[in-house]
Amino acid sequence: MNTRIKFSILLIGVGIIMAFLPFNTARSFQLKPDELLSKTVSDDIYFSVDQVARFINNEDTTFQLIDVRSAEQFKVCNIPGSINIPFNDFSNPKWEIYLNQKGLKNIYYGNGDQKASYAWTISTGLNYGNNFVMKGGLNEWYKTVMLSQFEGENITPRENALFENRFNARKTFTQINSLPDSLKTHYFNAKHLQTSKLDGGCE
Amino acid sequence: MGPLSILSEFPEWLNLLIALFIGIGFGFALEQAGFSSSRRLAGMFYGYDTTVLKVFFTAAIVALVGSQMLSFFGLLNLKLVYVNPYYMNATIIGGVIMGAGFIMGGYCPGTGISALSIGKIDAMIFLVGGLAGAFLFAETYPYIQEIFLGNYKGEMRIDEWMGVSTGVFTFILIVAAVFLFWLAELAEKKFSRPEITSEI
Repeated sequence: MNTRIKFSILLIGVGIIMAFLPFNTARSFQLKPDELLSKTVSDDIYFSVDQVARFINNEDTTFQLIDVRSAEQFKVCNIPGSINIPFNDFSNPKWEIYLNQKGLKNIYYGNGDQKASYAWTISTGLNYGNNFVMKGGLNEWYKTVMLSQFEGENITPRENALFENRFNARKTFTQINSLPDSLKTHYFNAKHLQTSKLDGGCE
Repeated sequence: MGPLSILSEFPEWLNLLIALFIGIGFGFALEQAGFSSSRRLAGMFYGYDTTVLKVFFTAAIVALVGSQMLSFFGLLNLKLVYVNPYYMNATIIGGVIMGAGFIMGGYCPGTGISALSIGKIDAMIFLVGGLAGAFLFAETYPYIQEIFLGNYKGEMRIDEWMGVSTGVFTFILIVAAVFLFWLAELAEKKFSRPEITSEI
């Protein structure tokens, strides 16, 4: 058989395979259910609000706080330094650049644990690395950090350190959230990454 | 997981270094495919040599099939791959100007540089012309900006515009390529000229 005919048959064969391949699998779950389940039951996926408060006080740049509540709720108040990826819009590919990266720990939080856990399950299932949940969400943050106060006559050094950590985080939280709306918008926009753009022609 | 330039945290110099090596590979492949010969390139317009069509169509199919296979195996996220925005006016006008330059000069920009690298004098003149055109474009940009940016269609993809899946579009393109390869071979027979590549 003529080489050209063989080559043509090969090409069309590849084309037929391509036509039937399901695409966009890059966004389908890549972990097997049992692998995902074993990760879910582990306590290692949680950070306590005190740990998160410490990250904020230390201006730790190795983590990224992700607020999964709605944009309106996020505007009213949020933990300083967090970005907003509403859970309803979580599957939008535009967020992938924030979610799928190796350098930072993604810590999800909502009002409680539910939506943050959903977000954790989706991003872990998609095989994005470094996903965590802030245990208890903003409700726990409010109870532990915002309402923390010094009680009793004696305080141990450990209790003192804990109280100071909460107190400083509370101060930052109040300062950022009391900014006027226009400044807040500037601040949030500055935190948004720009997708790298490549330019160029064919040859 | 790709694209590396977006998802990896390579420093800028490393990205540029990778681009340099890819560029060297591309230039080498162009030269090896005979694209540093303006007669061969111009042959596309006269029908006696359709290597340009075959090489570029094959490259497009390899890239298309390859990127989709990588995506299928989860190694490349096609949603993050940059799609050139489509400015309809600029594409049509620029296409006509580039086509005219191509047939008059015998090169397109990439092949011109490839030919320059092996010391072709016509390629040097061609590139001076190209740079003069680029200079003229930059200087007159404020006057032509409105036409240039007109009919903006965004990041348009043919498969989405046709309403078919990426895989089906790949199949259609492969069938079109096979048909065009066959047509090109017919044209080569019909418009054949004496072998001149040894003189070039």
